[in-house]
Amino acid sequence: MTIPPELASKIDEAISHYPVSKRSASLPLLHLWQEHYGWISKDAVTWIATKLELQPINILELVTFYPMFRQQPAGKKHIRVCRTLSCQMAGSYELREALAKAAGIHLGGGHMPHGDQEHDSEHAVHNPEHGSPITVSADGEYSIEFVECLASCGSAPVAMVNDRFKENIKVEEAAQLLNLAQSDATTPRVQQPHPREHRLIFKNIDREGWTNDLDCYVRDGGYEDLKKAFTMKPEDLVEAVKKSGLRGRGGAGFPCGVKWSFIKRGGPKPTYLICNADESEPGTFKDRYIIHQDPHQLIEGMIISCFAVGANLAYLYVRGEFPEGAQILEKALAEAREKGFLGKNIQGSGFDLEIYVHRGAGAYICGEETGLIESLEGKRAYPRIKPPYFPAVLGLYQCPTIVNNVETLCHVKHIVRMGGEEYAKIGRANNTGTRILCVSGDVQRPGYYEVEVGSITLGELINEVCGGMKEGRSLKAVIPGGSSAKVLKAGETYKIKDQEVRLEDLPMDFDTLAAAGSMAGSGGVIVMDDTRDMVATLNNLNDFYAHESCGQCTPCREGSLWMKKITTRMLEGGGTEQDTDTLKNVADNIAGKTICAFGEACSWPTQSFVLKFREEFMAKSQKALPPPMPPEYTPGELVKNDAIPAIPAPRGNGREIMGPAATR
Amino acid sequence: MSTETAAPPQMLNVQINGVWMQFPKGTRVIEACGQAGSFIPRYCYHPKLSSPGNCRMCLIEMGMPKMGPDRKPVIGADGKAEIGWIPRPQISCAQDVAEGMGIRTDSAMVQECRKGVMEFLLINHPLDCPICDQAGECRLQEFSMEYGNAQSRFLERKVKKPKNVELGPRVTLDAERCVLCSRCIRFMSEVAKDDVLGFVDRGSFSTIACHPDRTLDSNYSLNTVDICPVGALTSSDFRFKMRVWFLKETKTIDVNDGLGANITVGAREGQIYRVTPRENNDVNGVWIPDSHRLNFKYLAREDRLKDPVVAGKVTEWQQALALAGEQLKKHSGGAIAMIASARMTNEELFMAKRLAKALGITRLDVVPRDGEPDGIMIVADRNPNTTGAKLLGVTGKQPGARLAEIAQGVKSGAIKALICLGEDATKCGLTVEDLRKLEALVVTDILPNQTTALATVLLPASGWAEKRGSMINVKGRLQRLNRAIEPPRNAHDDWEILRDLIQAVSGSNGLYLIEDVFKQMAGEVKEFAGLSLSKIGDLGVPLLEIQPKGAE
Repeated sequence: MTIPPELASKIDEAISHYPVSKRSASLPLLHLWQEHYGWISKDAVTWIATKLELQPINILELVTFYPMFRQQPAGKKHIRVCRTLSCQMAGSYELREALAKAAGIHLGGGHMPHGDQEHDSEHAVHNPEHGSPITVSADGEYSIEFVECLASCGSAPVAMVNDRFKENIKVEEAAQLLNLAQSDATTPRVQQPHPREHRLIFKNIDREGWTNDLDCYVRDGGYEDLKKAFTMKPEDLVEAVKKSGLRGRGGAGFPCGVKWSFIKRGGPKPTYLICNADESEPGTFKDRYIIHQDPHQLIEGMIISCFAVGANLAYLYVRGEFPEGAQILEKALAEAREKGFLGKNIQGSGFDLEIYVHRGAGAYICGEETGLIESLEGKRAYPRIKPPYFPAVLGLYQCPTIVNNVETLCHVKHIVRMGGEEYAKIGRANNTGTRILCVSGDVQRPGYYEVEVGSITLGELINEVCGGMKEGRSLKAVIPGGSSAKVLKAGETYKIKDQEVRLEDLPMDFDTLAAAGSMAGSGGVIVMDDTRDMVATLNNLNDFYAHESCGQCTPCREGSLWMKKITTRMLEGGGTEQDTDTLKNVADNIAGKTICAFGEACSWPTQSFVLKFREEFMAKSQKALPPPMPPEYTPGELVKNDAIPAIPAPRGNGREIMGPAATR
Repeated sequence: MSTETAAPPQMLNVQINGVWMQFPKGTRVIEACGQAGSFIPRYCYHPKLSSPGNCRMCLIEMGMPKMGPDRKPVIGADGKAEIGWIPRPQISCAQDVAEGMGIRTDSAMVQECRKGVMEFLLINHPLDCPICDQAGECRLQEFSMEYGNAQSRFLERKVKKPKNVELGPRVTLDAERCVLCSRCIRFMSEVAKDDVLGFVDRGSFSTIACHPDRTLDSNYSLNTVDICPVGALTSSDFRFKMRVWFLKETKTIDVNDGLGANITVGAREGQIYRVTPRENNDVNGVWIPDSHRLNFKYLAREDRLKDPVVAGKVTEWQQALALAGEQLKKHSGGAIAMIASARMTNEELFMAKRLAKALGITRLDVVPRDGEPDGIMIVADRNPNTTGAKLLGVTGKQPGARLAEIAQGVKSGAIKALICLGEDATKCGLTVEDLRKLEALVVTDILPNQTTALATVLLPASGWAEKRGSMINVKGRLQRLNRAIEPPRNAHDDWEILRDLIQAVSGSNGLYLIEDVFKQMAGEVKEFAGLSLSKIGDLGVPLLEIQPKGAE
C-alpha cells in the first residue's frame, strides 16, 4: 500500500514528536489517516502497525477503544451531536431527529454509502450494542453520530460538522447546520464579564481587540512572567506554588505544589510534564476557551512549570473533539518556538524545552492521569494501579511525570507574577485563587464565570450572576462540580462546622462543597428546574458512564452498564419494586473498589439521586418482581406487561427455594 | 546448583487476621495470605505474569503502622505496632508485604467486596456450565459457591459477544464466558513473546481478539487455555471430549525433548484425553509447548505392536524370548551390535548395558535427535534422556558417533546380529537390504516401521505414559516417569523385556520390580547412590552439574 507523499511526511513528522517510543505515535497516525481517507480500514491498521513496528492487534485495540476512530466511512459531512446531560436538557435528542430528517437519514438503520461490498465491513470489529452507530444518508453526503459531551454545556445544544463547531443550535435551524460555513469556535466575540467576577485566567476571554496570536499576547505583557521565572531557582518556584495554596482544577483538588515536590530532582530518569487538556467531565467547558482564545497563557504556564519541575519534554494532551483547538495550539507553539520561548537555551536561560500537542480521540477516561499516560504511550487508556504507578515516580515511560490541568497550569503564571503569598490572598484559606465556574442547564444566562474561590454562594451564582431560573420555574437540583459530583437538592440544609447552611448559602469552594457531601470537582455546575425528571436525568448520566467505562476492572465495567439498563427500563415503564434498592446497591459495590476514580464518578450520581429523590424512583419502580425461574421473561416483556405471571409452583410463589432453607 | 549461598532474606512482621507472622521481604500480599492459610480468590493474578489488578476479586483490608507525633510507630498493648487501617479495600495481588502491615481477609468489608465482584462477573456470564469444558475446574464456579448469591437480581438482557471463535488452530474462544482478566494477553506478550492477542471494543463490550490477519498460532497457545480461569478459552482438541472430573491425573514428565517438562496426564479407562503442564520452577515453570502437549495420540494408534512376532507370526512371549536368546547367543562376543535409544529410561538403559555386557557387545550407541532450540523452552536435544545414556555408558561423549561403525559392520557382514531398542535401524544409515543380511535382528518397539517388519524376533514394548522409570534432563536433573495408562494387550514394560532377554542369554538375575533395578543401578553407578524411585519425588532432584553448551 502506497500513501501520498504529503501524508507520509506528516506521518514522519508526527513520529518525530515521540523520541522515546514510536508506539506513542499510534493515535496521531490514526488521526492523520482518518483525516486523509475518512476512515480506518483493515489495511490501515496493518500499515500503521508495520510503520510503528507493532503488531496489528496493538492498533486494532486502539481503533475499537477510541470512539472517534471509524471502521467504516462516514458521510462527506459528518455531524456529531452532543448527547450528554446539558445538551439533552437543551433539546439535543430532538435536534438529532431534526438533523436526520433534513439530511435524509433514517436513524436506527445505518447503511453504507457506496455499496457494502466495496468496504471491508466484516472486519469492522465493533459491538453494535455499544454506543450510537454512525448513520449515513443514502447519497453519502451526510452522516450523523450521537456523541458524548463536547464540552460546551453553557451553549447547549452543540454539534460539530466535520471540524467546525456550532453552539446554541435551535431545532428549527437544523437544516442550516448541514451547510455550516463558519465555526463558532473561531468566531471572535466580545462579552463583558459579570461585575461579581474576578478575571485572572479568563482576563482575555471575549476581550475586545484580543487575538490569540503571540504578538497580541506579548503586547499585553505576555511571557514576562516566564522571564521572571528564569531569574528564580526551580526549587523556589515549587515553593512559591506551595505557598500559593493552588489546588488542582481538574477535579480532585490536590495541592499543586505538593504534587510537584514529589518529583525527585537529579535522578537518572528524565522528568516529563503533561498538560491534561482532555476536558471531558460533563458540565465543564473552561479549558476550551483558554485553548481557543488564549493559548499562549497556557504555554507560558507550561514552560514555567516545566522549568520548576525540571522537565525538558512536555506534551499537551488535548481532547480529540477540539480539532480547532489543537490547530490553534500547534500554531501557538510554532510561534513560541520561533520567538525562542521553546527549544534550546530558552531566552538565554540555559533551559531546554520542547512541547508537542497530542490529540486524544474521544475517550473520557483519558482525563484520568494514568489513563492519559497510557493513552500517550499509544495504548488503550487503561488507568494504572496505584501503588505502584504513581505518576510522580513511575509515569510516562516509567519516568517521573507531572500531569496538570489546563487551568492549573495557567494559574502558575499568575503565581509567579504575584508571588505565592500574594496569590494566596485571593479566595479563602485552603481554597485560594480564582475558579472558573461553568454553569449550564435551566438558568437564564448559562456560561463561564471566573470568581474568587468561595467569594460567591451557590444561590448568588444562580440567581444573581446567571440571572435566576428560567421564567416561571423553580430550582429542583444542582450538580455543583461536574457530572460525577453528588447532586444537591433544593431546600436541603447542611451541617457545616456546627452551622446549618442552606443550599443557596453554600460558598462555592472546595472544602464547603465537600462538607456538604458533594465536591467542587471541575467547576461544572448543572442546574435543574422543577420540570426535570430525575430518573431521566440520572439515566442520561448512566448512559454516559456506561459508554465511557474503559472496561478494565470488573465493578465499573459491569456495574455502569447495569445501572444504565435499570434506569432505562424504569423510564420505559418496566421498573420493579426492587430496582431502587438494587440501583443503590450496585453503585455501592462499585465505589471504592475500582482501579481509578471513575468508579466513584459513575456511582456517585446514582447514589445521590436515589437517596435524595427516592420517591421519584419508587414511583417508577412499582411492578412486582417477576419470578426468577421459568416462565422465561425478557426486559421487553417487563416493559410491556403489568406483571409477569408466575406459574403456580408446589412451593410458594414460583420462586425456587434454594440453599439450606430448601432442605429444612 | 549454585554453590554461592545467598544472604538469608530479611523477614518482615505482618499481621494477618489478627495473628502476627513473618514473611521474607518481597513476598506478595496475596501469596503471604495463602501461606497463612487464608487463600484469597483471584482471577487476573498469576504468579508468573505481571499484575494488572483488574479483576478486583482479591480485595482485602490493609493497614500500615500508625505513626505518632514523633513519626515513630505507636506501640499497642500487645507490644506490637498499632495498625492504622486504610478505609478503602486494597488489592492484594500487586503489593509486597511491608514491616508492620496489617491484613484482614475475613472482615465484613472484604466479604462484601467479594460478593459484589462475583455478582458483577456473573451478570453477563452465560449459565452454560453443563456443557462448558471448564466446569469442574472453573474459578467462577468455585468462587460463586463461596461468595455468590443463589438468586440473581439481574433482570436485563445479557451482553452478546462472539462464541465458538477459532482464535487459532488449537484454541477456541467463547467471549461471553470471558471475565477479561487479560491473563492470555499477558502470557502471549510476556512469556510467548508474540503479542497477538488484545482487547477490542470498550467497557462491558470489551472482547478478547486477534487481528483478522493473525491467529493465535504460537506453539505455546494452549498455555492460555490452562491459565484461563474460566471457560472462555478452551482447547479445540480437548473440548467436549471428557468431563474433567472423570480424568485420572498422573504426574509425569514430557519426553519430547531434553528439558523434561513436568506434566500431568489426564486419562480415563486406558485412554489419554489431555496433557497439561505441572509447575516445576527448576524445569518448565508452569508452561509447555503445544507440540509436546498434543504429542500423545500415537499411543492410542490402532497399529500399536501388541504381540511378540517371530518370522511374521504372532508367538507366545516365552517362545519369542527363548528364540531371541538363542539367536543372540550364537554371535555372543563377536558379530553383534546394539542400537539403543536416548528415549529409554535410566532403568532400561542400565538393563540394556547389562545385556550388552552379557553378550559381549562392544558396538552400541543411541540415535541422536538434534533440532533448533526455540529460544523459549524447547532445547536442541530432542531426546529426553541423552544425559542418562551418557552416564550409563550406552553412548559416548558424542551420541551417535558409533552408529556409522555399526552400519559399516552390518554392510560388510562383520555384524551378523543386531539388537534395536525402540529405534529404526533404517534411519541409522542402513537399508532394508542391509538388514535382510542379518542372521538375527531382535527388535523392541511400540509402532511398526521398516526395522520391525524385518525383525527375526519382535517384542512389543510400552510407551512413555505406560511405564515407570527415571530420566536425566539436559541440566542434569533426575526426574520420574509414572504410568498413566496400561500398555496395549500383550505389550510388556521395556525393562522387563530386557530383564527376560538377559535371563535368556545368561540365566536368572533376581529382578522382580523396577525398584530392584534402580537399587542395583544405585549400587553400581555412584551418581545414583542413596537414591530410589520414590526419593526422586514429583519434582525430581538435581543429580549432575552440567555446564550449558558452549561453556564446556
